[in-house]
Amino acid sequence: MKELREQIEDVIKHEPVALFMKGTPQMVMCGNSYRALNALQTAEAPITAVDILPDPRIRHELSALSGWPTNPQVFVNGELVGGADIVEELLASGELVQRLDGALGSDRPQDVKVVALELA
Amino acid sequence: MSALQFPVDTMAAMEAEDIRELLVRAFPDALELEVEDRTGTGDHFQVTVASPAFDGISLLDQHRRVNDVLSAHLADGSIHELRIKTKGTP
Repeated sequence: MKELREQIEDVIKHEPVALFMKGTPQMVMCGNSYRALNALQTAEAPITAVDILPDPRIRHELSALSGWPTNPQVFVNGELVGGADIVEELLASGELVQRLDGALGSDRPQDVKVVALELA
Repeated sequence: MSALQFPVDTMAAMEAEDIRELLVRAFPDALELEVEDRTGTGDHFQVTVASPAFDGISLLDQHRRVNDVLSAHLADGSIHELRIKTKGTP
C-alpha cells in the first residue's frame, strides 16, 4: 500500500479536477464543501472527490502538500485553485469556466467519482 | 474517535476583535477590514479585507496572505471555519 501522502499526491497529479471535501458528493458533510461542489458542477467540471473525514491524517498530509490550511480544496490539473470562497468567486466572474476550458477543453466529460484513500 | 484527535473541541473561542487586531497589524493600510463571528460561537468567521497589498496578486495569493496571518489559529482549530473576501484598491 502506498503512503497516504503519495496517494493524495496521485489524486492531485492525475485527476483533472480533484475536490478534497468533508463527506462525498452523495453525502456532503459540510456547507463549504457543498459550496465548492456546487460551483464545480455549475461550471460543468468533471469531479474526483476525496472524503477527508475518515482520518485526521488526511487533512494534515493534504495541507502539508498544498500549503493551504482549510478545506475544501480544489485542484485543476494538479494546480491548487483554492477553497470554497475562491471557487465561488471564480465561478461568478467566469474565470472558473475559462480555467476549466483552458485545462480540459470545453467539450469535457462531467463525471463525478469518489476516490477512497487506503488507510493503514 | 477520542477528543484528542479533534483539538477543535477543546479550544477556547476567539473574539472577532482578536482576529481584527491581527489583521490590522498585517494590513495596516487596509481600506476596509471587517470580521464577523458568523455563528456567535467564536469559531466561524467571515473576514473582509480591502488593501493595496492585494493589488496585482492572484485571488489564491490574496487568500494565502490572510490565511498566513491566522495560521496558528487555523492549525490549532480555534478557528474552525474561515470565510475570506479580499479586494485590492479600486
